[in-house]
Amino acid sequence: MSDRPTPSLSKHYPGESLQFFIQLSLDGLTIGSVYALVALGYTLIYGVLKLLNFAHGDVFMVGSFIGYGVLQALGGASNPVVPVWLLLVLVTLAAMAGCAVLGVVIERFAYRPLRNAPRIAPLISALGVSFFLSNSMQLEFGAQQFNYASYNLSGGALYFHGFDLDHVHIPLLRIITIGSAFALMVVLWFLVNRTRTGKAMRATSFDREAAAMLGIDIDRVIVFTFILGSALAGAAGVMFALRVPTFAAVGFTTGLKGFTAAVIGGIGSIPGAMVGGILLGCAESYTAGYWTTAWSDLVVFSILIAFMIFRPQGLFGRVDIRKV
Amino acid sequence: MKKAVVVAFAVIAASIVATAAHGGPKVAVASQSVSCSSTLQIAMVTPITGAAGFLGTEQLSWAKYAVSTLAPQMGLKIQLLQGDTPVEQGAAPALTLAQKYAADPKLVGIIGPSTSGDAEASAQTYFHAGIAQISPSATDTPLTYTVNGKRLGTPAFFRDVPANNVEGPTIAAYIANTLKAKNVVVFDFQEPYSQGLAASISSYLTSHGVNVTRLSAPNTTTDYSSYVTKVPGNTNVVVFPTQQPPAAQTFAEQLVEQGKSAVVFGGDGADAPAQFKYPGGYVANFAPDISGIPSDAGIVAGWKKANPTMTLGSFGPPTYGAVQIMLNAIKIACAQGKGTLKSRADVFHNVKKVTIKNWILGGTFKWSTKTNDPLNGHFYIFKIQSNGSYKLVN
Repeated sequence: MSDRPTPSLSKHYPGESLQFFIQLSLDGLTIGSVYALVALGYTLIYGVLKLLNFAHGDVFMVGSFIGYGVLQALGGASNPVVPVWLLLVLVTLAAMAGCAVLGVVIERFAYRPLRNAPRIAPLISALGVSFFLSNSMQLEFGAQQFNYASYNLSGGALYFHGFDLDHVHIPLLRIITIGSAFALMVVLWFLVNRTRTGKAMRATSFDREAAAMLGIDIDRVIVFTFILGSALAGAAGVMFALRVPTFAAVGFTTGLKGFTAAVIGGIGSIPGAMVGGILLGCAESYTAGYWTTAWSDLVVFSILIAFMIFRPQGLFGRVDIRKV
Repeated sequence: MKKAVVVAFAVIAASIVATAAHGGPKVAVASQSVSCSSTLQIAMVTPITGAAGFLGTEQLSWAKYAVSTLAPQMGLKIQLLQGDTPVEQGAAPALTLAQKYAADPKLVGIIGPSTSGDAEASAQTYFHAGIAQISPSATDTPLTYTVNGKRLGTPAFFRDVPANNVEGPTIAAYIANTLKAKNVVVFDFQEPYSQGLAASISSYLTSHGVNVTRLSAPNTTTDYSSYVTKVPGNTNVVVFPTQQPPAAQTFAEQLVEQGKSAVVFGGDGADAPAQFKYPGGYVANFAPDISGIPSDAGIVAGWKKANPTMTLGSFGPPTYGAVQIMLNAIKIACAQGKGTLKSRADVFHNVKKVTIKNWILGGTFKWSTKTNDPLNGHFYIFKIQSNGSYKLVN
């Protein structure tokens, strides 16, 4: 393993409070990007189907496992058979593709039969799918953690390379994570707002029956929505697991936080999901840094409750006006 | 209607009484007397799955090997049961297993529990059932010592490895005297093993003029970014007594990610070359590499033949030793009962009579006269090399 280059840090951070804040902000932005991608999936599916897909967090988990499998198949982090950049692209694409297929299967067998049932039915079905996925993965792979060992890629290049901002080291890995998340969000925004399929999705979201009457194939739109949302969850799974070991139970909490981010941003709003994810990540990071890590989850879910009480439409959502 | 309500209340009351009578851990089932020529049962309680599954898998392989080789030599027929206690689930699985084994009259001894939290949670249940436990890896000091007026173990709990009150000062002395660290961060993971070790290490370091910062993280943490952010930039060593080696590896990587150069020092719970292999790091363990002990050559060869895909580690040999002690205690109890094991409590009363020459960890195994720990136990320190292997340095 190559020797570590010495980062440009003094033994004590000069201006420590600013650097501490920068580091916490970077932590928040990194994990917030993952939450934002998960939130986008929630928001897309809710927007079209008015369904809270509680299995979405576990789709994220499956994505991280698919990424791990493909990584090992391509030689692992220590001996990859392809260049590192190609390895990361292939791992991410494989996870996205695998999760997209999983999303289609879930929609077809767990939600479509309940499309005209009372809204509680698909919600319960979603919970059931969530438990099914996490327990299936645990039965298959055990409860142990799986580490991508991305530190070993190119002798630690993803960690050592990067740049320093006021003595805070910003490694290449985080730049890739945040940059990829934003790039995917931009692609999604473009898809939804600038393409015919996106227009159909927006129409279906606004009024499903009217969209059907206008000749839009609702089933196809819904399937496409699940493909998009699940693919984003798969990408989020890989980005998460590049830095932190994954395991079968990781989807539940991450999914809840993604859902919280979607609510904060305004469920059904794509920019809202992005902003909500970043805000949530930063809230978690600042609480952990300035207060105590033991309370970071408490703060996060308190924010959810506060939004539900005082601004249920979220930051970017619209107040739902119904004609009576 | 009135009659239905009365019947309903009666059923509820009966259920409550039945549940209370079935009771919690204080209910003991007296074991039947059993012939020593019949098949006796012992159980291995260890995390076979989960993040610490590497430990349980290794220990279980050695327990099986010990039973298969030693029991016939002693004229005993032993069936080894296995109980899985994943660390992520806390002590609940251990307690459930304890109640199950306590209710099984044929079960005469426990190898384990492997983790201190599980040992503490289940100690009373086993004690009231008269079942001896010999742990090859639970090192929390209050299991066999009275600390601050409390002892969390029972007279039926034994271990064939030294406690944290040996490991802590060993690690701390190495940090202070060999690494000459001036600023140390000490973690705990809000469970007995790490809290005891962290307290022991912090106390020693502080008394020797080292600046100590304490941090605490839940055992379920996987992303340590926010904790790494709190590690001061001038830290020389971070003591990370996790029971999940992937956590130690992640923490070490995230230290580098934030440009911090502190060395990560794990306890025996982090000793897993396949998972914690960050060069420059350290781990402590209660067992040396037994492949360097001549009298163990046959044992090692036999174990490797039975487990061709496994690598020789540090957690397995003490497990072999624990089984050896247990079988010897059973043998003594059987001899006292003239071929009949009158009660499983007879086994636990004979554990401390066992002495083993050519002990698998070297020398002769004897019990301390004051506690249920080995006499003169020792911890070893290993440094992680650039290729991820562990080298003994102390």
